[in-house]
Parts: sequence; structure tokens; C-alpha cells
Amino acid sequence: MAVLTYLYLIFLVAPILLLLVGSFGGVWANTLLPTGVTVHWYGALFEDPSLQRAFRTSLVVVTATCVIDVVVGVPAAYALHTQARKAVRFAGRLVSLLPVAVPELTLAFGFILLFSTDALPWLGSTPLLIAGHVVLTLPYLLNTLLADMEHLRLAELEAVAGSLGAGFTSRFFDVVVPSLRHSVLAGLITAAALSIGEFQLSNLVSGFLNRTYPTFLLQAFYGATGFACAATVVLLGLAVAAAGIGAAVARAGGRAHG
Amino acid sequence: MAIHFENVTYRYPGSDAGVFDINLEIADGELLVVIGPSGSGKTTLLKLLAGFIEADSGRILVDGQEMAGLPPHRRNLGIVFQSYALFQHMTAAQNVAYPLKVRGIPRRERLLQARQALARVRLDGFADRLPSSLSGGQQQRVALARALIFSPRALLLDEPLSALDAFRRAEMRDEIVRVQREAAIATLHVTHDLEEAMSIGDRVAVMHGGRLLQVAAPQTLYDTPADRRVGAFVGKANLWEARVSVPGQIATAFGTLPCDTQGWVPGSSVVALVRPERVIPLANLADGRASGAVFTGTLCHDRFAGPTRRFDMAVGGAVIHGETGGYRGGIVAVQISPDAVRLLPPTTFDA
Repeated sequence: MAVLTYLYLIFLVAPILLLLVGSFGGVWANTLLPTGVTVHWYGALFEDPSLQRAFRTSLVVVTATCVIDVVVGVPAAYALHTQARKAVRFAGRLVSLLPVAVPELTLAFGFILLFSTDALPWLGSTPLLIAGHVVLTLPYLLNTLLADMEHLRLAELEAVAGSLGAGFTSRFFDVVVPSLRHSVLAGLITAAALSIGEFQLSNLVSGFLNRTYPTFLLQAFYGATGFACAATVVLLGLAVAAAGIGAAVARAGGRAHG
Repeated sequence: MAIHFENVTYRYPGSDAGVFDINLEIADGELLVVIGPSGSGKTTLLKLLAGFIEADSGRILVDGQEMAGLPPHRRNLGIVFQSYALFQHMTAAQNVAYPLKVRGIPRRERLLQARQALARVRLDGFADRLPSSLSGGQQQRVALARALIFSPRALLLDEPLSALDAFRRAEMRDEIVRVQREAAIATLHVTHDLEEAMSIGDRVAVMHGGRLLQVAAPQTLYDTPADRRVGAFVGKANLWEARVSVPGQIATAFGTLPCDTQGWVPGSSVVALVRPERVIPLANLADGRASGAVFTGTLCHDRFAGPTRRFDMAVGGAVIHGETGGYRGGIVAVQISPDAVRLLPPTTFDA
């Protein structure tokens, strides 16, 4: 078992190490490891206008996705949770999980068919890109929220708040929203991590001027290897940061609930 | 009457469960305990009063005001749940102050009142703690203080002690009674714990299958239950099928028992109820007292459990269950005095 574990770890870590090595390597062509050491690629990266644009696009898309996820997700999860009829709750969960189950390519092709028509000519626009990311990430936020609502016995907390004299608005903002703050944050970090790394849909739906960072990476790999490695390391750094913040928030949340 | 249920019926959609034709009154300052097995409808009663569900028919009045159509937050009733249901992101004081907050009391004033309320449930010094750093009993005290701070018209307690361990439960039980007396507030307390119900209730309502079987003071319920089901529910009981043979005497499967037969004509079928502690163990037949029947039989069980000793004696095909405190001697016979026997109707009223 130990051997298998180590093999798996090597399998997991080796590409990442190679990327790191490659991003600092001079020339890398037809050899196992690159020759020479340089920080030249990172310099080139920060001066590249199309990278800067992709980075900006990604930031805009991630931020907008998170904001829309919260605005749509919290009321939707609340509605599902307080829905008395089991059948409706089940249907709601099923529909919310569909984007997870259905391959992203299917969704992307659907977008291409629908939004390249004369009636809805929005293919290649940033709002459509954001909409796609919302569809892909919302289920994760919804399910985090629903699980937490169950765990917190939110329905009972609300019943008590009601009996204490709180009307709907007070209950929602004094009890529901603050009780869910940890799961909103945890769900959002998952959503942000997914949105940052999303490639399939973005690659097919984004236009030439609003490529996201991962789609830009694909282009980078057609150029110099070191440049592509450096660009990937930046993405990797972002992903690790998101995961780290996520873990920290989840721990804080666990302590608060415990 | 502070609280009034009038012919209240509620059926859960798509099922036969619910509560049926409930008539119940709770006086000002009275602590009424509703007891029954799970699924008997006792919590449904509380939900109807709280306004979480609306009755299909009948009326619920609080201080003479009809409750129908009023949402929970307009009913002015304090509720404590089994799970405490404290707001985890608020301190103890903020939790207790919350009802005052939604009523628009200024922050300084409401926090001051909350601290005083916490002191009344002996939690001074815990005002700034978050619920997660309080014990179960302390959390339940916070919930109690929170449910009372806005001077509600009634207090509703939904199994408030079930989540506590046995020791805390007894302590919290006394605390609830103390606080309830101090506030002199009509209280509906729902529980499935018999000892809890009997020890704190001014009156106890026994529910079964969505119906009220009997509402009475604990001692009345124990000594003169309305039927065999209540008799068996509120304590251990010998229940024997019998027939009134002549006035002052009934015939059972194991012999004749003298008892008060007033209200029964000779020939009627009855159920005789005798509490085990009223069955007197005898070391020999000569020890029997003047009145009461003596039965000899085989001792088939004799269990010593510290403060009580339980024994079963087989007599002519029937078994007499007995219970004694300090008696340590042998048991060759038992005696049942006439005033220990209570006659009940042979059938239950909705069986």
C-alpha cells in the first residue's frame, strides 16, 4: 500500500515540479530537463498584453460569478429548504445538480447553438461567459448551503425567531443570513476555484478579446515552453491560494458550529 | 382562562395522523403538561397554539383572543425547543435581547434587561459567551430567559429536557418550575417523560392517537384514571378483568376481591386496577390485616433494585405484581385492601 501511495504522490507532484522547473529553465527542447536558469519567462509574462487581458477577464468573470451566485443561491437554497413538499425539494435538488452531472461540453454546445442565432447573438460576450460560469458553479454553493441549513436546523431557528416576534425580513437578515455566513464563504471559495480553472466551456464560449486565463494558457503552450510553464505556475498559485483560504474558512466554520 | 382549545381538529395532509376534537383549558399561571407516546399528537398541539400550523376546525383562544390567521410572530407566545435553538452567532445576552430588538427597544436598554433576565436563570457572568461555549443546561436556561423576556401571554415548552443527561434534567426541571412560578405564566409543557410530567404539572393531559384521554391533577390521574389505558400509562399497574358479583365485591380469575363498587350494578364487567405498591407482601398467612383479601401463590419473580423490591406472584392463572420499599422478609402471600382497588370501565373509550 505504501508503495502505491508514493507512486500516486509522484504521479501527482511530478508534473507540478516539472512546471516549476520549466518556468525557471532556459531552453527546453527534446531533453528531459531544461538547460540554464532564468527568471526571464516571468518577466515576459507580466509584459504580455494578452495575458494581462486574460487575467483581467478572469478576475471580472470570477467576481461576477461569485456575486451572482450569492444573490441567486442564498434565496434559492432558502426557498428549497423551507419548501414543505418533499417532491418539490427533491426536484429542486435534482435540477440544481444537473450542471454537475452533465458534461460541460454539452452545456457549451448548447450555448453555441442558442447564442449564435440572430435572436440571441451573444456568443463571445463577457456576460454570456459569466452566465455559463454561474450555471456551472451555482450547484456547489447551493448544496453547501442546503447541507448547512439541514445541519443548523435552520427551519427550527426560524420558527423560534418567529415566536419571539420577528417577521420575515428580520428573520431573514438577523437569523438566516448570519447563520449561513460560513457556508456561503466556503461555497463561494469552491465556486471561485472552479471558475478560475474552468476551461472547457470558456474555451468554446469566450470571444477572442475576452479569453479567460486558462484558455489563454492553451495559446501559450503553442509558444515557448518556459513562458507556458510560468503562466501555468501563476494559475497554480491562484488555485492553491483559493484552496488554502477554503480550508481555513471551513475550519473556522467548524469551530463556530462545534 | 388564558388558553382555550375548543373542538380543535388538525389532520396532517395526506395522512390519518393529527389531533382530533381537542378541548383543553390552561389557566393563568398554570403549568399544564401534555404527555403521550411519540406520534400521539402532543407536539402538534403545541404547534397549533404557536401558529406553525393552522387548525382544520375548532378555535384556539389566548386571553379570549382568537388565534386563527395570526402568524407566529404576532401571537406573543414564548417557545423553548428541545434543541434550544439558540442563534449561534449571537452571545447569550444578544440571544435573550433579540425579542426586544425586534420590538424596537434601544440597544442599551435591551441588553440591560437581557442581563437581568440571565441573572434570574442564574447565568450572571455568562452574558458575553457564545452558545457553543455553554453546556446543554446553560443553553436551555438562555432559551428559557429568551422566551420570557418579552412577557409573553403563555410559555410553550417542547420537550425542553430531553437533550439533557439525567442529572441535569432533574436540576433543570426544578429550574423551569421556579421560573414559571416566578413569571406566573400559563404554560404548556410537552413531554414523553412520565416522571417529569407527574412531578411538575399542576395538571397533566394524557394524549393517545391524537385524542385527549384525560386531563387531571397528577395524583388524580394516578389514583383514579379514566380508563385502563391511562391507568397503564401513568404508572405500573395490575389490570384484571373482573365482574361485580355483589355490592362491595368483585370476582376475578384468581378469587374474590372486596372493594368499593359504588356506581356499578352487580353483573357489570369491570377492569380492576391495583398499583403494585398497594400489594402488601406477607411472610405468613397470619400476618394479614383485618380487611382485604389475602392470596397465596408461587413467587415467580423477586428482584431487589435498591430502594424498591419488585415481586410477581402467580395466583390461579393470574399474576399479581407487587412492589415494596423496606420489606426484606420472605413472601408466601399477598394482601390487597379494598381501598387499593379502583374499578375502571372494561373498554377504552375510542378503542
